[in-house]
Amino acid sequence: MQIRLQVERSDPASGETRLQLYELELRREATLLDCLEQIKDELDGTLAFRRSCREGICGSCAVRIDGRTALACRTPVAELVAGGRLPTIAPIGNLPVVRDLVVEMEPMWQKMRAVEPFLRPTSEPSGDGRETVVPPARLEAVRKEALCINCGACVSECDAMSVSPEFLGPHALAKAWRFVGDPREEETRPRLKGLSGEHGIWECTRCYLCNERCPKGVDPRDAIAKLGAEAFAVGLVRDRGARHAKWFVTSARTTGWLRESELVVKTLGIAVSVTKIPLALRLFRRGKAPLPLPRHKASELQPARELRRIVAGQDRRGAQGIVQGERVLESIELVRAPERPAPEAEDF
Amino acid sequence: MLGDEGCEGVLAWDLARGGVRALAAKAVILATGGSGRVYHGSTNAHACTADGMAMALRAGLPLEDLEFVQFHPTTLFPSGLLVTEAVRGEGGYLLNSSGARFMRHYAPEAMELASRDVVSRGEQTEIDEGRSVEGSLLLDMRHFGREKMLERFHGTRDLALTYAGIDPLERPIPVRPGAHYHMGGVATNVDGRTEIANVFAAGEVACVSLHGANRLGGNSLMETIVFGRRAGRAAAEEALGKSGGAELGPSARSGGEREIVKLLERREGERPRSIRDELGASMHENFGVFREEGKMRRQLELLEDLRERYQQVLVEDKGEVWNSDLTQALELGFQLDLAVCMVSAGLERRESRGAHSRPEDYPERDDQNFLKHSLVRWSNDWLDLSWKPVTITRWQPRRRAY
Repeated sequence: MQIRLQVERSDPASGETRLQLYELELRREATLLDCLEQIKDELDGTLAFRRSCREGICGSCAVRIDGRTALACRTPVAELVAGGRLPTIAPIGNLPVVRDLVVEMEPMWQKMRAVEPFLRPTSEPSGDGRETVVPPARLEAVRKEALCINCGACVSECDAMSVSPEFLGPHALAKAWRFVGDPREEETRPRLKGLSGEHGIWECTRCYLCNERCPKGVDPRDAIAKLGAEAFAVGLVRDRGARHAKWFVTSARTTGWLRESELVVKTLGIAVSVTKIPLALRLFRRGKAPLPLPRHKASELQPARELRRIVAGQDRRGAQGIVQGERVLESIELVRAPERPAPEAEDF
Repeated sequence: MLGDEGCEGVLAWDLARGGVRALAAKAVILATGGSGRVYHGSTNAHACTADGMAMALRAGLPLEDLEFVQFHPTTLFPSGLLVTEAVRGEGGYLLNSSGARFMRHYAPEAMELASRDVVSRGEQTEIDEGRSVEGSLLLDMRHFGREKMLERFHGTRDLALTYAGIDPLERPIPVRPGAHYHMGGVATNVDGRTEIANVFAAGEVACVSLHGANRLGGNSLMETIVFGRRAGRAAAEEALGKSGGAELGPSARSGGEREIVKLLERREGERPRSIRDELGASMHENFGVFREEGKMRRQLELLEDLRERYQQVLVEDKGEVWNSDLTQALELGFQLDLAVCMVSAGLERRESRGAHSRPEDYPERDDQNFLKHSLVRWSNDWLDLSWKPVTITRWQPRRRAY
């Protein structure tokens, strides 16, 4: 199989980038990683990229393929060049480039360290010398988040991080939920308080690209939603982000749709909102926001109320409600989530 | 780096920024993983290039039981990726080229559920006697049915689809024995301590001799969790017991720098790829599932030739920052050294034991002469092989039969 592709190369000294075209012959089943390996072996020993396990376990080889982040080792190269396309391979986004396809991961690790990715049980062990067994069902709440391989695909895709580099981001927040949601964790509230502050949970813009591009099905946006729900459940509702989210619920319940013009007042409070009046007027004039009156109301209120009733009827609060909500959505077929059974055991 | 006080630290190449760094240390733990990449077909990651074992060897430490390599019977062709044991556990069949479940000849009772070494030997015999499909056997899961496949083996199906272009719902997948785990490694005691008091090793790089000549699936976790912890504690105690700070002289870097400069300044030579590929393929051929005197001697000759060629290996990338061309060339040097030691130890073990199988010349286990560990050292370009006794406590060695 004849392959042509472009790789974004960069000079570490000058920081200049250029596209380099490579042409090579590959076997039919070759992955993009096989392709990069062969380029390095046969065509150009100076091409720099990370790799190790070559099967989607180590998380080293995330790259952007025509702008979409994926693991090179999980991407069949035949799919990339189908229909005579010329794919462009570039380093992942939102992290500084070191050289070619290699990025500096340290900013990502700093954020991961900031969420303290380890359990903090405060109570004393039972003292009988026995191990503490957690029933598998109780770990269901963090099952997806535990699948993370730290590849940075979500960070690469995150819109919020690209405009607000200090945002903790989908990777660190999914990691945070991994521990906040663990039944053995006992410092849940202080953790949530920290995560609810600036650059935390509420800075996510809910674009869902992290969910879409995560190669392991971690669904970081869902983890962020769980953190938000749990923060609500323990009474952390004063943050602007929390008030913002709360208005979505109220608005959907009362009129079926989001009443955007009232959102600013509910989120920022009246005093701050007054300063936003010139902006609001400009938005109204350009048709970017609906006028506050008449009230923006959905013609059919029933579906929104029904959804809320079903979820509320489960009587699950916080993250449990979100986990339940995902199921409900799947079962009433408003959204069809891809099938994701439990992971298989691996040999060691 | 060795001095009067044992190990004084580690000489390292700074991958991110370039340059040789001398890292002073009161204690050093080798935790570099195994050597699987010495073989062309391996379940191991690209990073498993025997670095720690070769470094220990160069520091004069003995490597233990290097002839024992576990071959996993179900590695996917052509990538070598691991197909989980659970496929056979759930009733997957292994078929030869005529569609027969050949394991009935090798383990009539256990069939596909026999231990890894037994199944690997069965497969290799089928391959050697011409009953394979282009060098592979077929792992058949079609009778699982769609529901079980999607629920329990979606990962395996995904693996086969992505890496072999085969849907196991429709066709059996090609598998063959692949290098999976090195039972041998840097000789340590149960605290991970080596002959040099402040050098430790943990994980696959080490040979605590937890696995003997063979390994049970899952026991690598004990190697990391139990013995990794013990090594870490012992190393910490060693370091805390030393007064003053770790220090290195100004000349510490010079030897390493000379070596790197020599590599980088070479303008003509052979690229690592052909040497690496010949190493991997020949190790399978001559030091794979089965071993035999003549093949092992040929392999040693071939390794000498490859090591000679390696003296002129060409690093194309001359840059400082993230020069993986350089690191991969260094790794190849480690692999070549280790392969010589493995085959040398294998030649001297004139018996069949565990994963070391010599059906042609020494088919039986010989406790009289070989109930002992091999130890390989390398000093002044001379390979020295010796033996040390096996400590047997509660469990007496027994013949395992199917």
